[in-house]
Amino acid sequence: MKRYVAKRLCISLATLLAILFILFLMLELMPGSPFNDEKLTQSQVALLNDKYGLDQPVYYRFIQYVKHMVTGDFGVSYTISKNTSITTLLASRLPVSIRIGGQAVLLGTVIGLFLGLLAALKHNTIFDTLTTVVSVLGVSLPSYVFALALSYSLGYRVHWFPLLYQQEAAMKSSVLPTISLAMFTVATVARFTRTEMLEVLGSDYMLLAESKGLPEWRLILVHGLKNALIPIITVLAPLVVSLMTGSLVVEKIFSIPGIGSLLVTAIQSNDYNVIVTLAFIYSAMYIGIMLFVDILYGIIDPRIRLAKEGNYEH
Amino acid sequence: MKKSLKKLAAISIAGIMAWSLTACGNSKTVSQETQASTAKAETKEGSKENGKVLNVHIDVEVASMDPQIATDGTSFEVIADTTDGLYELGADGNPVPALAESVEKSGDGMTLTYHLRDAKWSNGTPVTAKDFVYAWKRAVDPKTASEYAFIVGIAGIKNADAVAAGEKSLDDLGVTAVDDKTLKVELDVPVPYFESLMAFPTFYPVNQEFFEKAGDQYATTPDTLLSNGPYKITSYEPAATTITLEKNKDYWDADKVKLDGMKYQVIKDSQQAILAYQNGDLDVVTLSGEQVEQFQADPEFKNIMAGYLWYMSPNTKVAGLENLNLRKALSLSFDKEAVCNNILKDGSIPAYFAVPTLLATGPDGKDYRETAGSNYFKTDKAEALKYWEAAKKELGVDTLTYTMIVEDTESAINVAQFLQSEIQTTLPGITITLEQMPKKNRVERMQAGEFEIGLTRWGPDYADPMTYLNMWTTGNPNNYGFWSNKDYDSIIESSKKGELALDPVKRWKALADAEKIVCDDAVIFPVYQKGNAVMQKAGVEGIDFHSIAINRYFKNTVKN
Repeated sequence: MKRYVAKRLCISLATLLAILFILFLMLELMPGSPFNDEKLTQSQVALLNDKYGLDQPVYYRFIQYVKHMVTGDFGVSYTISKNTSITTLLASRLPVSIRIGGQAVLLGTVIGLFLGLLAALKHNTIFDTLTTVVSVLGVSLPSYVFALALSYSLGYRVHWFPLLYQQEAAMKSSVLPTISLAMFTVATVARFTRTEMLEVLGSDYMLLAESKGLPEWRLILVHGLKNALIPIITVLAPLVVSLMTGSLVVEKIFSIPGIGSLLVTAIQSNDYNVIVTLAFIYSAMYIGIMLFVDILYGIIDPRIRLAKEGNYEH
Repeated sequence: MKKSLKKLAAISIAGIMAWSLTACGNSKTVSQETQASTAKAETKEGSKENGKVLNVHIDVEVASMDPQIATDGTSFEVIADTTDGLYELGADGNPVPALAESVEKSGDGMTLTYHLRDAKWSNGTPVTAKDFVYAWKRAVDPKTASEYAFIVGIAGIKNADAVAAGEKSLDDLGVTAVDDKTLKVELDVPVPYFESLMAFPTFYPVNQEFFEKAGDQYATTPDTLLSNGPYKITSYEPAATTITLEKNKDYWDADKVKLDGMKYQVIKDSQQAILAYQNGDLDVVTLSGEQVEQFQADPEFKNIMAGYLWYMSPNTKVAGLENLNLRKALSLSFDKEAVCNNILKDGSIPAYFAVPTLLATGPDGKDYRETAGSNYFKTDKAEALKYWEAAKKELGVDTLTYTMIVEDTESAINVAQFLQSEIQTTLPGITITLEQMPKKNRVERMQAGEFEIGLTRWGPDYADPMTYLNMWTTGNPNNYGFWSNKDYDSIIESSKKGELALDPVKRWKALADAEKIVCDDAVIFPVYQKGNAVMQKAGVEGIDFHSIAINRYFKNTVKN
């Protein structure tokens, strides 16, 4: 297992470097530069390019960037917050996105699992139908619809929660965005749990377990749910990353100082270092979570681990 | 199975509870948060009693609080809330002395000696002439790479352009501190709008000692920001979505400041912004074009004239567009009233000029437009058709196709689509195709001359027609169409640095003549001067709206 993790970590690092290099190449191909402003003269643009080293060839900038990155220096912002180091810029924003995204994942997973289990156990009843309805709504309605509906009803109409995100009341003002973002997770998890549980419940080993006279909760949670979890985790992993890295529209609606909207602004204004850093964080989180999921598989289902280690023959 | 379900439900509920506990962190944070919110509720109550904290909507983050680095209207506005320069703009847009207490002008108008009033930075150190010298040198220092370095040259300060280009040393810049309270400014040429420029943030003072101590972190937190203006920052971080300010009690003119503080809230979604306004979270909000119709009957609705001129720029290097008759035909072919009243609906006005209205006041005390008239480019579709017929003969063509490049904002696209259909209907045989792109790409394409027609805009930097007219001189990077006229160039040159510069009355007349050349030659096809639609709560008064540099000024604002 240790060797496997070590190997995976090395591959992950190499992947990250490759992603970073491709990013640099892509930015090079993007039209315009951070300094295409009407009021800037040619000589000033040259000065600015020189100041930030943008007149250097792309491979040289890449190497410089990686060198600085190792020391924790991600460069400065060119347009969004002029001359501010990216670390300062993200220091306050990243935790907000991770927090709200994390809450959404937790809430969505717990409710989704509950609904999915309920639907599977109460197959073809009103609970099942309701779960299907929730799933269809959650998957088909974009999160900003929930965001708008919630901010209008619970924010504007009854004043239970603030309309806009407030740093000084972070918990209270994160409730509505969390629910809006969680809906998709609820739907996805409920759908998969239902399908997988139905399959597991009908399997021979469940019949065996039941005939052994195991208590029902143990039967469902340990024998049933555990086996149904693998596909759910597979769909959940990318959801976790996309939620934690912030959602553009939900951030826009609640004026949340997160990183989702930052990335879009950065791309529109050619703020290279912000784009590279955010894309890097995104990739690192994605790779990290995928690695975590793979390890988790091994814990949940030893067959996978053994197969990977090459000691297991079917 | 039933029992197990109940157990399952119990476990799930326990799980949710456990989650909500972990999500709150620990009990300490919970109580802190409650305290914070009660504290907030109290201040809200308090503010209702005094009605003194103004909540203002902005739709974009502040890009920089550093006066020599900032370039955008939002940053300028917040910087001006916290910092005074030699002058400020009064309610009518004319400069009034701020930190300058008095001035002595030399006979030739080339040397200005300013005596500063007693004013303090928010850390208690006095504001001195050295702070101005340091800031201005910083603005032109090639190392700072300030985008607004050029404006020091526009102000006519001696050697500014040469210093900015790195040809002369910083010490050659025509500004010296005679003593702590006396600032001497030497000019290359007398500049009639010098005082108005002194209200521009690039010319705001910076305390060298404080700046150097803050280093890289300067102007990124309340601790690394200094104020000498009506308000001081109490919460700010780079690209913050909320910024709070409180009244600066040590401000030299503190008696005039009636607000206890201000709170800026960044809201990018215009629908949420108006919801927050209706909810009472905001006192001032900017409306988007499509919201105007809904609210224009509301007593809290207000139209504000902005400085931006939107126009089409034809590239005279492109075959056909060098033809004067074709350009004239295009310039008269579309209905500008309809653009303003049916498409934009935000108080924008049709542009029958190349230099916007409410920009500059002349030596006669009148607005420039009053003197120069607003009779250019009046929509006349029959006349346009005549010009098009003439152009067809001269060019020997029956049909022409041009691509117009447009930035990808909703209002720009809407306007462009309307212009496209107007031109095509009025001038049969002309086809206009549209190409959308981000603004930065449009600017890049236009500066490189890789376009046929571009829909573009220009915002004024100072209160003088020159902020527009300078653009169409030969070789100017913003003369996108590559139009060139020697007479025009010589008027502009003389008004900037020559004979005309010394005679304000003659100069004013000459600038109007120069504008006429641009209009007669259809160098650009002006469309509209931008208006802004805002909602302002009843009881809020004294917000000064300006069309140049600082768009809103809150020093004299009251909230009842």
